[in-house]
Amino acid sequence: MLTAFVNAFKTPDLRKKLLFTLFIIALFRVGSVLPTPGVDAAAVRRCLDPVLQGGSGNSIYGMLNLFSGGALLQLSVFALTIMPYITASIIIQLLTVVIPRLEALKKEGHAGTQKITQYTRYLTIGLAILQSTTIVALARSGQMFQGCNETIIPNDGILTLATMVLTMTAGTGVIMWFGELITDRGVGNGMSVLIFVSIAAAFPTSLEAIRRQQGWGTFIIVLAIGLVIMAAVIYVEQAQRRIPVQYAKRMLGRRAYGGSSTYIPLKVNQAGVIPVIFASSLLYLPVLAAQFNQNAGWAQWINANIARGSHPVYMIGFFLLIVAFTYFYVGITFNPTEVADNMKKHGGFIPGIRAGKPTEDYLHYVLSRITAPGSLYLGLVSLIPLIALVLINANQNFPFGGTSILIVVGVGLDTVKQIESQLQQRHYEGFLR
Amino acid sequence: MVTALSILLILTSLVLVLLVLLHKGRGGGLSDLFGGGVTSSLGGSSIAERNLDRITVGTGIIWFACIVALGLLLKFS
Repeated sequence: MLTAFVNAFKTPDLRKKLLFTLFIIALFRVGSVLPTPGVDAAAVRRCLDPVLQGGSGNSIYGMLNLFSGGALLQLSVFALTIMPYITASIIIQLLTVVIPRLEALKKEGHAGTQKITQYTRYLTIGLAILQSTTIVALARSGQMFQGCNETIIPNDGILTLATMVLTMTAGTGVIMWFGELITDRGVGNGMSVLIFVSIAAAFPTSLEAIRRQQGWGTFIIVLAIGLVIMAAVIYVEQAQRRIPVQYAKRMLGRRAYGGSSTYIPLKVNQAGVIPVIFASSLLYLPVLAAQFNQNAGWAQWINANIARGSHPVYMIGFFLLIVAFTYFYVGITFNPTEVADNMKKHGGFIPGIRAGKPTEDYLHYVLSRITAPGSLYLGLVSLIPLIALVLINANQNFPFGGTSILIVVGVGLDTVKQIESQLQQRHYEGFLR
Repeated sequence: MVTALSILLILTSLVLVLLVLLHKGRGGGLSDLFGGGVTSSLGGSSIAERNLDRITVGTGIIWFACIVALGLLLKFS
């Protein structure tokens, strides 16, 4: 394990990539704690402390704050982090199903994907303007921290407000660029590495809060539970069904092509963490709507049942939504018809099953059955923080559970695999045995 | 002084967003977020792209300096 680290830093090009990634991460963290000009950082600190320690306060921002690693509530330059990019990607991803032009672009291959990426980036900036305006407005009216009477923005002239909004928007642009730079010249997928950094940065604070409130005993129990969950998550993330594919041998000129047997890996959790993100942002919508007219009957019902994550109604709704979204997302990302078509074109077949329609049916059959445990697993894992909340009275952002652990483990595995493949080009043994 | 810096910050923010959007997007959205296939893009960047990088980094440094300076000015004024 340690020798693998040494080897990774001995290889010149890999060392360059690792150092570049670390450099970008450092810049990203600096921007996450640098307050936006115009914000009274001391007042924010005074408001923020009870939220971090008590953990009762507003659970509404829990999810958003989780992704930003505390940057959102600090109103820093990078307050929005990659949230706009994620939202934009989700929207574009969903729109490809609806809008024919986008679907055509997607089928076009590399050039089409590039264009879709470009659309996503434009949409990201648009969303960033919207969200930064919302955040600045919330902070100005004092709704950001309920029950805290500090003036967060002392001077609310139009120039100051415009500067703040534009700075945050530009910050989102810079983060997007950072992500692309990491993808391009560093290690791993830039966007997911940045999310990973944000989430991991929040771990020490939450752990410290638990230790202070509940003492060392609970702290150690939490750590132990966290490790067990992590192992379980890795176990399921790595699980895959390998469908064997045999390619026919054919002669082109004097060379023989194909004749190899490979497999299609179908992961148990094909959808990753996207369903969890979908579900929590969807459940956040009614709460947001209820905030605008608090006196209506339905709004009060929502405030009583959905606004707090510990309520059974919320838990059941969350679970069902995740299961539904898992099926939905797997349906979008893995298209059995396409795979069966491609296999037929290149002379491949699954042993015992005819090419074309039967192959498609078979893939569909396997996929829908393998997704069933996958979706249940996703739902259960994301319920962990909610249940832990009830059991030990920890705060909402219980560090080891749900979305955060899925993302951390997923991104970590992916990045390590990528480093590993680079190491193996030079015949070194990797991290994973 | 504060006004001048604010205006400079607004201008650099706008330029920065434009410059970032001019870059070619890498990494195709969500499909390879959170554990997709390992795709490594080969091939260096063109000269235009490299110059764009340089301009973006320069603007970024000015932008960053503006934020810090403005923050300090507002704090001690």
